[in-house]
Amino acid sequence: MNEGESGLTLAQLARNGTSSQPMVVNLHMSVAGAGDLVAKLAPIARFADMFVRPAEQGLERVLVFADAQSGGYLRLICPLDKSFPVPLSRVLPAAYQEECELYELWGVEPGGGKPVNRVILPPSAETAEPLRLPGGDRLSSEVRAPHVVQGEAIEFPWGPIRGAGQESLYLGLVTTGEELLDAYLAMFHKHRGLEHRMVGQTLARALFLAERCEGLGAVGNALAFARAAEAALGIAVEPAAEVTRCLALELERIYNHIGSLAALGAATGLSVGQAEAEILLEDCLRLNARVFGHRYIFNLLEVGGVRRGADLAALDSALDRLEARFESLVADLLATNSYVDRLEGAGTIAAEAAHRLGLVGPVARAAGVATDLRRTHQVSSTSYVGFRPAREQPGDCLARMRVGAAEVRESLRLVRHWVRSGTPLQDDWATPGPGQDHVGGPAEGLGWAETCRGEALVHLEVAGGRVSFARLRPAATRNWRAFDDALRARNVFTDVPIVEASFWLTVAGFAR
Amino acid sequence: MTPRVLDPGALPLPGAAHGEIDAAAVRLKRRSMAVLRRSLHIRTVDTGSCGACESEIRLLSSPYYDFHRLGLFFTPTPRHADCLLVTGPGCRAMDHALLSAYEAMPAPKVVVAVGACPLGGVFGADRYTRGEITDVVPVDVVVPGCPPSPLALIHGLLLALDRIEERITLQEGEQ
Repeated sequence: MNEGESGLTLAQLARNGTSSQPMVVNLHMSVAGAGDLVAKLAPIARFADMFVRPAEQGLERVLVFADAQSGGYLRLICPLDKSFPVPLSRVLPAAYQEECELYELWGVEPGGGKPVNRVILPPSAETAEPLRLPGGDRLSSEVRAPHVVQGEAIEFPWGPIRGAGQESLYLGLVTTGEELLDAYLAMFHKHRGLEHRMVGQTLARALFLAERCEGLGAVGNALAFARAAEAALGIAVEPAAEVTRCLALELERIYNHIGSLAALGAATGLSVGQAEAEILLEDCLRLNARVFGHRYIFNLLEVGGVRRGADLAALDSALDRLEARFESLVADLLATNSYVDRLEGAGTIAAEAAHRLGLVGPVARAAGVATDLRRTHQVSSTSYVGFRPAREQPGDCLARMRVGAAEVRESLRLVRHWVRSGTPLQDDWATPGPGQDHVGGPAEGLGWAETCRGEALVHLEVAGGRVSFARLRPAATRNWRAFDDALRARNVFTDVPIVEASFWLTVAGFAR
Repeated sequence: MTPRVLDPGALPLPGAAHGEIDAAAVRLKRRSMAVLRRSLHIRTVDTGSCGACESEIRLLSSPYYDFHRLGLFFTPTPRHADCLLVTGPGCRAMDHALLSAYEAMPAPKVVVAVGACPLGGVFGADRYTRGEITDVVPVDVVVPGCPPSPLALIHGLLLALDRIEERITLQEGEQ
């Protein structure tokens, strides 16, 4: 067990807390107590999320920490005050994005007087009104943290409409012409208010929205949502359905990493490599359609299980050829010096930064931080037997590309194992799971899944079979936090698309 | 290029019923698009999609579909674009950008709405999204699907160019 300087251990804390579901400990505290504890927790646990939720008396602030050792989550719950006793961004730099969101949504000042950006609504959006604390002032349209661009530098505005087939976001690139000095992101042009839409909906409808949160992570986000609902309602998932979910999750991971290779090819101007990766990507999407009936595996998951089984014969017959062509592509790419040179040393994230910013998924693993929920936070004891998480150094684009390749190999190994070892899998249409018409008293659950981009978290509260509160925290929310850091690390203008392709995040997941 | 002479039947007649005028307007638009038939430059705008439509759009230029063989190209600027390919449910925060892109395009221009979102199939009109993008820009061709496959997208683009025949329309009896 890790120990901070205070000698505090998570195991001690867990003994003082209450538990509403396995692997999740709740600690209810005063605001001052929470401020004290956060400073002590920061070095020994990974900050995962912070949000505000309605409680019986007023509003509550919830901080979620992940503990790799015990494989669980710690929730620190305290009343919402106008400000937090310690400057969070100093003890918990990872929480800056959430601090900005809380300021805009609830008018909560970040501690220490740190300037905040208006993140959720871009300045031009006067029509939509954010939620406000009762009696709170309406924010002015421009509350972005002031930043100075001076000397020879200019801020080159790029977005929100960008290149063909790219998602909308605003990137302010501060440059003197070639070298990138700084970058400012505005990410919420695509905010669809998914969490607010879920309130009052049935679980099936809310799951539909969770899936649309991030189309290229539909399985992962829907899985985290379904697990949250199952934890809240106390539903056990059949082992065959659980493995089928993992199968879909790994197929999603495979096509995403190959999609990242195609984007890297485009970003580096390596047309042949891009074309090869696109052929493989299209083959993966067609395989998804054969195995699960949808190119992006939409509509597979439901609360309590899966809607249908996999076409195992189709999957089995495609695996060997897919793997051979993938290995050939990766070998060719790594033997192309002009390609490797562009990736090497570009967009570097140090291990220290990955820890400090609470990064997850392949971006963290490429920086040497071996965080992977498939190893540390296993939901089922049988699915990921013998799983080996990927890990690379030194956190540049090349390391992320290598992590992606290693994860495709490991996912193919897992899929082959499940399909060929006689692991029970859902192989037909399933009868509706028990979650569909579940009606009961108020309950809450935390769900998680290691999506292709890293840890996705969903906090869900239900009452009478309907959602009363939802918080989505896709992996993109955590990892975009490091994107501007990666751009600042001695890069030139043309490195931006390469860094973006290697991060392989979605704007939709961030903007929700 | 020889100017194309419009078929008098394509023009709205005085005293024609509203439906007839709409139908005539569609025919007129289609004729004006005919000048672009052999080459179309496309600008894409995401107004809040989940990203799956973008993935399918990126695959249009991949070897399997290679839409360049049909004279279709992406362009990085609306000034060079004939076609606006719009995805997403019309997030209100994107209104300004979407309208600016549309207005920056030279005429004749065509708008193709991609996926279920811009048709109002996923989100309704509320304080975050418009639900349908027709409130912001006029839509000429819709390509339904969640997401529509690259083949469906190519079909929609060729339809916009009047290079293939429209077999089914949303309005009954229009054809």
